[in-house]
Amino acid sequence: MTDTQLTEPPTGPLNIQDSSQRARRGRGLVETAVIYGIGILVALLINGLLLMAIGANPLTAYGTILSSSLGSLSGVAQTLNRMTPLLLGATGVAFAMRAGYVNLGTDGQIYAGAIAATGVAFALDGAPALVLVPIVLVAGIVGGALLASIAAWLRATRGINELFVTVMLNFVALFLAEYLATGPWTDPVAGEAITVPIPAAAELPSLGPGHVGILIAIPIALLVSRWLLRTKGGFEFRAAGSNALAARFGGVGLVRVGIVALVVAGALGGLAGSIEVAGVHSRLLTGLTPNFGYMAVLIAVLARRRPMATIPVAFGFAVLIVGADSLQRSVQLPASAVLLFQAVVVLAVLAFETPKGRRLIGRIMGGGQ
Amino acid sequence: MIEFLAGLVDADMLRTTLVVATPLLLAALGELLLERVGLLNLAIEGMVAVGAAVGFAVVFLGGKSPGMVILAIVVAGLSGVAIGAIYGAMSLNLQANQITVGLALLIFGLGASSLLYRGVVGVTTTPPSIGTLPVWRIPVLSDIPYLGRILFQHDPFVYLGLLTVVPVWWVLYRTPLGLRVRATGESPKAVDSLGLPLMSLRWSALAAGSALIGIAGAFFPLSLVGGYSDGIASGRGWLALMLVIFGRWRPWTIAAGALLFAWVEALQFQFGVTTKVIPPQFLRMLPYVLAIVVLVRVYGKAQAPASLTKSYDREARF
Repeated sequence: MTDTQLTEPPTGPLNIQDSSQRARRGRGLVETAVIYGIGILVALLINGLLLMAIGANPLTAYGTILSSSLGSLSGVAQTLNRMTPLLLGATGVAFAMRAGYVNLGTDGQIYAGAIAATGVAFALDGAPALVLVPIVLVAGIVGGALLASIAAWLRATRGINELFVTVMLNFVALFLAEYLATGPWTDPVAGEAITVPIPAAAELPSLGPGHVGILIAIPIALLVSRWLLRTKGGFEFRAAGSNALAARFGGVGLVRVGIVALVVAGALGGLAGSIEVAGVHSRLLTGLTPNFGYMAVLIAVLARRRPMATIPVAFGFAVLIVGADSLQRSVQLPASAVLLFQAVVVLAVLAFETPKGRRLIGRIMGGGQ
Repeated sequence: MIEFLAGLVDADMLRTTLVVATPLLLAALGELLLERVGLLNLAIEGMVAVGAAVGFAVVFLGGKSPGMVILAIVVAGLSGVAIGAIYGAMSLNLQANQITVGLALLIFGLGASSLLYRGVVGVTTTPPSIGTLPVWRIPVLSDIPYLGRILFQHDPFVYLGLLTVVPVWWVLYRTPLGLRVRATGESPKAVDSLGLPLMSLRWSALAAGSALIGIAGAFFPLSLVGGYSDGIASGRGWLALMLVIFGRWRPWTIAAGALLFAWVEALQFQFGVTTKVIPPQFLRMLPYVLAIVVLVRVYGKAQAPASLTKSYDREARF
């Protein structure tokens, strides 16, 4: 039973045209630009209508989003701070997707990483920063990887779809974090789910008004991308993702690929969690990165499962998040409205990426070939 | 120890179980209808959130007369249908990937519900309350000791919600329509070859299922909480998705599963308050851990509809 399940493409429907894309790259680039341009335009229109519906001027709102996130050094720093966990999470999701696995557990992996990082920072209180910071980051990686390995293990041994397990583990990790933040590690003065601060030596070095997290995240995205495209392991990964049966006959160990895909995705999520703790909050708290896990999936989808492409997309999402925060202050827009905006962008782009949507684009572009 | 065991079958505890089971069951039955025509909908949590915000908004604006409550439930159902329609247009008509569309709509629903609530209520320091629905004590039956307390002292939403399993089962398993719906999930090609209205079947099941999911959302402000807050469904939409697998795509086993999960959830109300031995967070974690354990036991033996997540293109060659 388990065996037959592993020979099937793990998540067939996600394997959106991979080889054919390469063949017509020249035209593809223009087409992609048009699809994304139109998608974003449609999203701007729909969201503009929504903004008007709640009584805000869309142009002012869009202006506020851009000026608050990119208009000042502190704004840019904040945007890069938000971009870091998004990029790490999305890189992990895209990486797993390339092998055909859906990791919906980034939120939980971020918490697991944050928990491990906080615990290690407390345990090694007194160690010098030069030692403590790397250890804290590694602890986060291990924490996230451990949580994801539950899903990987169940997938490998029982053939249980990782999609369901990773979602359930999100809640397990969330409640564990809440328990630690209200129980053993709680800050009695704060009176909410928040721990006492980690030792100052465990804090991530700052970079201007922000932290150095982005200097970790971008190289990792590039590295993962390079590994996927330029190494034997990466080739096996992509083979497993585009046609598992063929890959298996070609000698690819599907079980190993699945485990690597999920554990690495978890490790990257965990790293994001430890960076949030060591770089932004200096403590563990609930509501660390609300819904970033699902956003990471949307980013990976928009980036067409290419880790390199997650860099600009994650940047765009971060701009929206920081911008929406300031909209919350200026036009009383709830911060979660940014979710709506992101979802509309994704839906619009997805619609134009379907065969029917592409035909429409083709007609617009004139050729209609 | 005796006290602990008695707590597990305490009348109030079992009564709470039925209340908590209602939204789980409604959402899971809705998802069942979708999956039976081959649609895997990951947006349940978002659709439930929108249903909750809509249901709250109607009663908040219109008052709590019986007519308004019914309207709130209907509009919540329609809001589910609206999101379901986007899902259908994307996945059925455009044949976009169901998983990605579902996730985008999940995020869409979480954002839309929050925005709607803010639009209706504005910025307040204390969140407004509409109060939960009044309890309807069934005459005579509610006076039965123990059982009366558990079964017959609920608000109307609970009775109707729990009884929904009957029509869903009856339509799916006792009518020609149900047979066609189930066949659609197994083999759209066969249904199409027979000249049956494939798209109408899929769209009808999608609409009915989405309505149930939206109505499940309205249950939270109307019967459980009496107000609205972001994240009100707190993972129950995802649990509903698990329940469909747990119930092996059958209405009655799904109902049994809903009761089991609700019972586990009710533990936190029973023991979270009385004992300090187990931290409440671990009790809240239990349903999700149970879901994983259940997956391990059930997965593989369960037979999902064969066309689940596969988009059907009648022009495709085989």
